[in-house]
Amino acid sequence: MTTQLAGGVVLIGWPQLALASAFVLVTGALALWMQLGVTKDLAVAAVRTYVQLLLLGLVLRWAFAADRWWWVVGILAIMILAAARIILKRAPDAPSGLFLAAVVSLSVTGIAVTFAVTGLVIGAEPWYSPRYVIPIAGMVLGNSMTGIALSLERVFSDLDSRSDEVRAMTALGASAWEAAHPSIRSALRAGLIPAINSMAAAGIVFIPGMMTGQILAGADPLEATKYQIVVMLMISAAEIIGAVLAVLMSYRRRFTADGVFLERGFRP
Amino acid sequence: MAVMPSHTVTGLEARSLTVSRHGDDGPVRILDGVDLRVPGGTLIDVVGPSGAGKTTLLLALARLLPGVEGALALDGEPAAAIDPRSWRVRVAYLPQRSALLAGTVGANLTLPWRLKVRAEVAPPNASALRAALDRIRLSDVALDRDVARLSEGQSARIALLRTVLTLPRVLLLDEPDAALDEESAEQVGLLTREFVDAGGAVVRVRHHRADGHADRRLRLFGGALSEEAS
Repeated sequence: MTTQLAGGVVLIGWPQLALASAFVLVTGALALWMQLGVTKDLAVAAVRTYVQLLLLGLVLRWAFAADRWWWVVGILAIMILAAARIILKRAPDAPSGLFLAAVVSLSVTGIAVTFAVTGLVIGAEPWYSPRYVIPIAGMVLGNSMTGIALSLERVFSDLDSRSDEVRAMTALGASAWEAAHPSIRSALRAGLIPAINSMAAAGIVFIPGMMTGQILAGADPLEATKYQIVVMLMISAAEIIGAVLAVLMSYRRRFTADGVFLERGFRP
Repeated sequence: MAVMPSHTVTGLEARSLTVSRHGDDGPVRILDGVDLRVPGGTLIDVVGPSGAGKTTLLLALARLLPGVEGALALDGEPAAAIDPRSWRVRVAYLPQRSALLAGTVGANLTLPWRLKVRAEVAPPNASALRAALDRIRLSDVALDRDVARLSEGQSARIALLRTVLTLPRVLLLDEPDAALDEESAEQVGLLTREFVDAGGAVVRVRHHRADGHADRRLRLFGGALSEEAS
């Protein structure tokens, strides 16, 4: 056996990694046999998992060793820009020019929540300590991204489906905010549902990822739990704040300066 | 008695209204330099084939469309001098459908006064609303009835009543009696006529034959208005 224990952590060797890939090969063969039409996607996704995560491992190892604040900030900036791009892809009906709104809402929540956890809860020293900041920022930004993408997608699709009602309200003298309000509410609710669901189901339906990782790494389950509660509350907060900021910064783009909803055919 | 200067223009005036929208092969012109004058106390019907731009004309008059070229004036005051929301309060557009929001009849009738633009104006109280409903022969409709349980004709009458209660100067009605039963259509016509007789100006888009309320009938075709041949 090539597995070994190092400080409570079971180290995985390259042969074990290859063994895990065998399962994907079996799945791929099954998909091919059943003509699911996803074999290529599956292969690409599996290779991406390997490449992206190995690269991440190398970058983290190198960032931990370098231990410089500007590297940490640079990595955060790349994460934020990548998340903003994914958000825009997931909301294809959204008006153009939302990149800035996505970047700002991700940055505000990402920075505020990440450093609240690393600085105030964990007490990481120095403040930029990459071992804490980068993984926590990853979780915060990942969830914030989900909340923002869901609520942005929803606010614009809901405005489109309510366009008659929006027009009727505008005709009665409603401002853009008043006419859009029901859609904004529905969008924020949609953005908050994943956070609420995962808080409600945590520990009953699933063991959250970070806690799983810490337990596998040999941590005391109760200690891992405390960490997980902090992280869970913080990422839920990130999801909520991110969704609120992004929606408030962007709904107005579907209206003219005169408060008129831009129907299809009149959009720039 | 005050002497009115003879050149005073009342009502709604539009000059060279031009509207285009994006089509599949570039911009499509819907209105092409429309001129229209609707003095207070007159009702003008606009007829024309489907897709001629009748709704677009009403939306442009209500300042509910982006990118409209041309000039608008209300009671001699140019649109540029009037805030768009105040304009819409005075030049009220009533859509053909979906004018009522989910909720009760009472909540729908008082919706205009829950908007910031009328924050200073007291809403009509329950007895005033009751009396208004009686006037359009909807005595049997309770204020707490869900609008989902109204007939199409009842909804149309209530939507028009709500707009009339906000006391606009001009009413822009988009097929107000299309698809209505005879009694509802008659009530809608009478309420509209009452508004005109009190000095209001009305532009009404219609498909139906003349109902005797209109002072003029105009035809919209090819982006331009012309007098309808009788």
